[in-house]
Amino acid sequence: MNTDFVTVVSGLPRSGTSLMMQMIHACGVEVVADGQRIADADNPRGYLEFEAVKKLKNDSSWVASATGKAVKAISMLLFDLPASQNYRVIFMEREMDEILASQKEMLKRRGTLNDQSPSDDVMRKFFQSHLDKVKTWLAGQSNFRVLYVDYNAIMAGDDQGIREVCNFLGPMVNAEGMMQAIDAGLYRNRKPASSS
Amino acid sequence: MFGNRSHKITIENELYERLEKAAQVAGHASTEEFILHILETTAPPSSSADSEEEVRKRLQGLGYLE
Repeated sequence: MNTDFVTVVSGLPRSGTSLMMQMIHACGVEVVADGQRIADADNPRGYLEFEAVKKLKNDSSWVASATGKAVKAISMLLFDLPASQNYRVIFMEREMDEILASQKEMLKRRGTLNDQSPSDDVMRKFFQSHLDKVKTWLAGQSNFRVLYVDYNAIMAGDDQGIREVCNFLGPMVNAEGMMQAIDAGLYRNRKPASSS
Repeated sequence: MFGNRSHKITIENELYERLEKAAQVAGHASTEEFILHILETTAPPSSSADSEEEVRKRLQGLGYLE
């Protein structure tokens, strides 16, 4: 991709970041991933993650080489991206109840859910506070452009978000390829239709 | 629910019955769940540092942070 920015897919864990990475990848955008975190029940089509992202605070030397490519970095890691680069951040947003439910399933599978974990009500507040902080910070960064994408709307069949992603990333991304990447089988923890 | 330290409180019958009815109306699975919900949503928020630390722990548990 002939661009002068690094595409960053971000958001809270279980907000649809892996799906967005799959969608971007399906459109021919090169992704920065090392395959260390392999596909599992939580992400049957893989995570498309790069382990070095977790160490951004200590080593961000690889980021310049990600120009023209896409990398996944959860919201807390955005603060650690070096100011020397330009970024286009696709920030995934999903209903918090679904995020919390999906995270809980993942924690159970990983064996890291314990009795001391705060309740959903408490975590909802904590995450909201975190998101407010991240968004305020992003708004003040001149080298960041941010597109907020509604995961629930996309999965409900609304193509507007997909078109916005295509416009955001430029002409090398096409909406048709992106829509083909949506796999309804990946969308779990959906609220019952009667409650919406 | 309370972490590794739990505390018991005494609620008089009349109040408990009111809470029991309210829990049913609100669709909670149990009266205890409803009471905890009220307490958690009305208690003063934890400090910003606590909040950030809990988010960090959650992200570590999910494998997204070292």
